Amino acid sequence: MSGAVRTALRRLLARRGRTLLAGLGIAAAAAMIGTAATLGFGLATGFERAADRADLPDAIARFDDEELGEIDERVRALPNVEERAYRLEVKGVPLAAGGRSSERGAVHVVRSGRRGYAIVDGADLSGRAGEVVVERGLAEEWDLRVGSELEIGRGARLRVAGIAISPDNVAFPLASAPRVYVAYEALRPLLGADVDPVNVALVWAADPARLDITLAQARATGFGIDNLRFVTRDGVRLLLAQAAGIVIALLVAFSLVALGSALVMLAATARADVERRLRSIGVMRALGFSRAGVSAEHALEAVLLAAPAAALGLAVGVALAAAPSARLLESLNELPPGWSLAPILIACFVGIVAVVALATAWPAWRAAGRAPAEVLRGAAPRPPGGSRAPRLRGGPLALGARLASARPGRLAATVAVLAASISVVVLMLALASLLERLQADPGVLGKRYQLTAKLPASSADAVRALPGVEDASPRYVVEATDSFRLAESFRLIAYPDDLREWERPPLDEGRLPRGEGEVAIGAGLATALGARPGATLAALLPSGAEVRFRVAGVVRALENDGRVAFAKPGPLLAADPSIEPAIAVRLAGGADRAAVARGLERLGAVAEPVGAATSSNARFLGVLASLLRVVAAVNGLVCLYALVQALTLLALERRAVLAVLRAGGADRTQVALVLGGAAALVVALATGAGIVAERALLGPVVTRFAADYAALSLTPGLGSLLIVVLGTGTLALAATAWVAGRLAREPIVAGLRDE
Amino acid sequence: MVNVVTASGLVKTFGTGRAARRVLDGAAIEVAAGEVVAVHGRSGSGKSTLLHLLGGLDRAEAGRIEVGGLRVDGAKERTLDELRRHHVGFVFQFFHLIPELTGAENLLLPARLLNGDGKGSPERVRALIERLGLEGAAERLPHTLSGGEQQRFAIARALVGDPAVVLADEPTGNLDSEAARTVLGLLGGLREHGPAVVLVTHEREAARIADRVLHLREGRLVP
Repeated sequence: MSGAVRTALRRLLARRGRTLLAGLGIAAAAAMIGTAATLGFGLATGFERAADRADLPDAIARFDDEELGEIDERVRALPNVEERAYRLEVKGVPLAAGGRSSERGAVHVVRSGRRGYAIVDGADLSGRAGEVVVERGLAEEWDLRVGSELEIGRGARLRVAGIAISPDNVAFPLASAPRVYVAYEALRPLLGADVDPVNVALVWAADPARLDITLAQARATGFGIDNLRFVTRDGVRLLLAQAAGIVIALLVAFSLVALGSALVMLAATARADVERRLRSIGVMRALGFSRAGVSAEHALEAVLLAAPAAALGLAVGVALAAAPSARLLESLNELPPGWSLAPILIACFVGIVAVVALATAWPAWRAAGRAPAEVLRGAAPRPPGGSRAPRLRGGPLALGARLASARPGRLAATVAVLAASISVVVLMLALASLLERLQADPGVLGKRYQLTAKLPASSADAVRALPGVEDASPRYVVEATDSFRLAESFRLIAYPDDLREWERPPLDEGRLPRGEGEVAIGAGLATALGARPGATLAALLPSGAEVRFRVAGVVRALENDGRVAFAKPGPLLAADPSIEPAIAVRLAGGADRAAVARGLERLGAVAEPVGAATSSNARFLGVLASLLRVVAAVNGLVCLYALVQALTLLALERRAVLAVLRAGGADRTQVALVLGGAAALVVALATGAGIVAERALLGPVVTRFAADYAALSLTPGLGSLLIVVLGTGTLALAATAWVAGRLAREPIVAGLRDE
Repeated sequence: MVNVVTASGLVKTFGTGRAARRVLDGAAIEVAAGEVVAVHGRSGSGKSTLLHLLGGLDRAEAGRIEVGGLRVDGAKERTLDELRRHHVGFVFQFFHLIPELTGAENLLLPARLLNGDGKGSPERVRALIERLGLEGAAERLPHTLSGGEQQRFAIARALVGDPAVVLADEPTGNLDSEAARTVLGLLGGLREHGPAVVLVTHEREAARIADRVLHLREGRLVP
């Protein structure tokens, strides 16, 4: 160990209390960064990671049952196909294990060749009879392990050979159908000989960038194959996005903002630490140390302190966020980052240490540039400008505020750090509120109806006549594909009435459609297709028919990541009369939803509540809630630390003033009031600034990062603001009590000598 | 005359092991109301420590202290707060005025700590400012005042609570000779208004204003 390192370590150990405090601050910020990195990286890359691991095909074609030979002949003839595999998907199969059961099981009969799923535990199907591979969501939910027994169909008992994930859909129970895989060879004895048909084709393209060509050719040669639908890898990503995309995007964006805040805090903490040590800098300069030498010494100390603190903080952050983010990923059939997170964490570690070192070296460099005599006089504030000061009002509290504002630069830095943290907390609360609204309130998406019911269009009048129903309308929904760019799928929604009666997405460009040949498209679809008002939208329907519309306007819609188009049903029904609508039901104010549901039941339909962008799955939302709680807890610690740091620094710098007050008879409460005045000023300014920053900067930035195709509001409610104000007030009290307690234990004479 | 300060058998040691140094070793002092006592001693002899013990800023290892009728040794912190608030006034070498507050506000602050019991009223503050001839400087910030003016404000601050004794620790140590004379004159003049003064100094000049001069030698106070 070199002499410089030994000396730096000795200095750190000589002031254990302060070293510990500074280390805790670095660790708190590092924990925040660790949490943000784990969440952000894990969620942003979860799909690609799982898709690569599962060897997800570039395109999946679904169709009504066909002979394998017939299908394979056509697929083999397609251009740009590197490999292909086939499955028979049997839906509605009863599954049971360990006392649990589902009537909606999806059994995938797989054949030899590439699988399109990844085994995460156990082994793949060997072809022997009696084996089954279950999806991880099902295994978790039903507590199935390798070797467990699963009953499929009516009495067939299969042993779980392996557990798999495939990100072509969200996991059970987020997806309503639990999915299992059995080998074709193994199933034949169970279901009889009639399993030769297939209804799913998996296609791996030789050049995924040219998948368009393959799909166009597939459409052209798909004649005679009923109900042919394609979904591409991008389409699957969109499918998942419907379940949680907006949530993940918001969390990732939030993580980025949290990262920025933590870096600001680190820099301010390191700077504050140098301010404390001005006298030692003066001594070093007086002893002949060069300016660069002083700066380097401080940088070395900072590195020695920051390295373990950053490692600890990152580890804590990862530990806090890993479990909930893994659960979230699991529910989406995605994989946690595992060791691929390591380079990111190493980069974070290096970044934190570098920021602390630089933020320490720079003020040390500046301080060392001052006259040593001036620095030796210590960190007491320069006298205020002018010869008059405002009147002292309010006693100790006002004095505390006055002491805190004596150094406007320091006050501004502390307020900035705290405001950054508070703005993140406000953002988090607004985010939580938005998630709740997304879950429960279809109005967030601009929807003006609360229920749908699978009924023919002619039932609209009957539904309208139900008590509690304000209005009802047929709503046609078709999953279409752009005829020119077959990889781009979108949702075509049509109402016979004025669109504004049922959907109110904010208009971004152009106008809403007026005639039957016009369409308003979501900003997500407009971006994907490069379409603007005046362009033509050629929609390829699942039946193979094509409908062309003129784009009248672009709207900011959240549904389906903005890949939607709103039109009139006339052209759709003309192209495909078999399209069945649902009835959209708008409830009257104060209507009894259950009574309306019963009325719909009498008409022969089940009332489906209209959700929003997230799933109604309670477990999924519980995971999200725990994620937000983790981030909130870390952020609360950061706020507390920033306050303690600011007050400790104030108490240290104004040690003599506080000692004089105590010598004059100020008791512990009065000293605490002085510190409380300083804390109150800082907290009041920071809370105001934090709320303004969230509303003016963070909220808009996060929503823009997350979904620039939609109009989302991350405005905190009054309740959230109250929580923030009370929370910061409580933190200020806690910080004041802690610092005042420490100060009270210090002998008064120690402060009086400090001149 | 009634004694406002009575202390005996005071012991105080700094450091531990071989570095331990007993600066007070059985020191005793009595100060009557209105009396000015100067304590001389070389640097590091324990003069300031004696004042700190008398004023309840530090605790003795042994000995008995009574100030203004309050028992100081072994007293709880709350009692010591009470002592410092109502019975003792401190004057420091480095003035220790709060730089953000004007001279008058520096006097008002302890007045606020006294919770309006009459002793620290604004009227009293105004009277002290007039008595010490500080009217012209009352609204100025400390850094615009001369050393002598700052120390006069510090003396006024010590008097706000109408203490039984003023403990002055090297009050002229940071002043030029003219300002020092003025400050010593002020401290000497306090006897006319009631409080006793214990003046710690190593300046022989201070002896002229004192009723008694004590020397701190080998941890004990001797005439």
